[in-house]
Amino acid sequence: MPLNILLILVVGGIAILALLLHLLGKSRLVILTPEDARTAWHRHFPDDEILGLTVASDGHAAVVQTDQGPGLLWSFGADTVARHLRDFDLLEKPGHLSVIFRDFTAPRVTLYLNATERPLLQKMMVPA
Amino acid sequence: MNNAISYPDVTQLAVPFFLSAILLELGWIVWRGRGGRYETRDALTSLVLGAGSVVSGMLLGFIAWGFFMWLWSLTPLDLGASALVIAVCFVLDDLRYYWVHRFGHRIRWVWAAHVNHHSSQHYNLTTALRQTWTGAFTWMMIVRAPLVLLGFHPAIVLFVGGLNLVYQFWFHTEAITRLPRWFEAVMNTPSHHRVHHGRNARYLDANYAGVFIIWDKMFGTFVPEQEHEKPDYGLVHNLGTFNPLRVAFHEWIGLFRDVFQPGLTLRQRFGYAFAPPGYSHDASRDTSAEIKAKHLARNPTDAGTPGFD
Ligand SMILES: [Zn+2]
Ligand SMILES: [Zn+2]
Repeated sequence: MPLNILLILVVGGIAILALLLHLLGKSRLVILTPEDARTAWHRHFPDDEILGLTVASDGHAAVVQTDQGPGLLWSFGADTVARHLRDFDLLEKPGHLSVIFRDFTAPRVTLYLNATERPLLQKMMVPA
Repeated sequence: MNNAISYPDVTQLAVPFFLSAILLELGWIVWRGRGGRYETRDALTSLVLGAGSVVSGMLLGFIAWGFFMWLWSLTPLDLGASALVIAVCFVLDDLRYYWVHRFGHRIRWVWAAHVNHHSSQHYNLTTALRQTWTGAFTWMMIVRAPLVLLGFHPAIVLFVGGLNLVYQFWFHTEAITRLPRWFEAVMNTPSHHRVHHGRNARYLDANYAGVFIIWDKMFGTFVPEQEHEKPDYGLVHNLGTFNPLRVAFHEWIGLFRDVFQPGLTLRQRFGYAFAPPGYSHDASRDTSAEIKAKHLARNPTDAGTPGFD
């Protein structure tokens, strides 16, 4: 197949599919209930004992207290990703909070928290 | 046979078919409201990784080609290019695929290249295209050496390898549940390969087959999909990024960081590069064997059931 036709096909195909998926509503982030968050944490860390769990009001993240220390669970497209809060920095911005993990596979999570939950969750994220 | 022998690059020719099949699967899912899941950024990452792997093949393909042509110059054998020879080569190359794929899950150096195929939490036709960019660095081309030395021309070996990869496209789907029993017995199918993509303890290190599932049955790695346990797709430690560059290179970066950290013995450094994924010098991580053992400790009744024997 000529290279220029292959290129048009690949670039055009990817663009059309991405647009189509977006228009079909497939870009929506999953919204977590406390029960979902609990199940999701155990899916990622089956050996952890969950001691407490707070879901952000937008449903896109949860701070989880476990016997292994605090952890963060967040919406990742239609699914979730979780990390223990061990090696990270918090960047405080007016509209949001950025969690910078020193982890090449999960570099940054942006949390949109309202004024009441923000100080609470922030406090829970600090390892004891 | 001379060196000018030429076969079509089947993976490139299949691109229009790949794209239409993805549209069909998506249409089916939207229409029926079941049969799989799609997510925009996940699919986009898969497609970009697929395109990138074609580019990587164009840029690095000469390494394997040069190696095979060197072997071809050494061997006195030439089986020609009859239909039967190509068919036999296809079957033997599928056995080659089984072992390369098994090494891909059991040797971290090879896993570092293969991991991105498993990095999606989805399982649809776009996942099939999430292919490696760094396969040339695993040196797994060596496993193909016997085929060339036996007298299969390198062009035939690469041609049947391309066919193998194209066959593997269609079974990355949840839209097909089970196929006729005789077909499931011999061929790799959506059901068998869903198991391979599962991060469930039960499904780890199972169903490495490319085209024929018989290799897994022969070498003891076959686990049938269980009615009561749906595969949970993705990695044991799922990625928190859709960035294709991070997906393509993350395990190499982790590997080299581990190997070159201070204070290790030579044996430990070697372990971080070539032991099964999950090896650690301080027992801070779990290999698949440890994950299975921990699962059985939590769920003792699963002992002796498929995937736990
Ligand atoms: Zn695999
Ligand atoms: Zn696959």
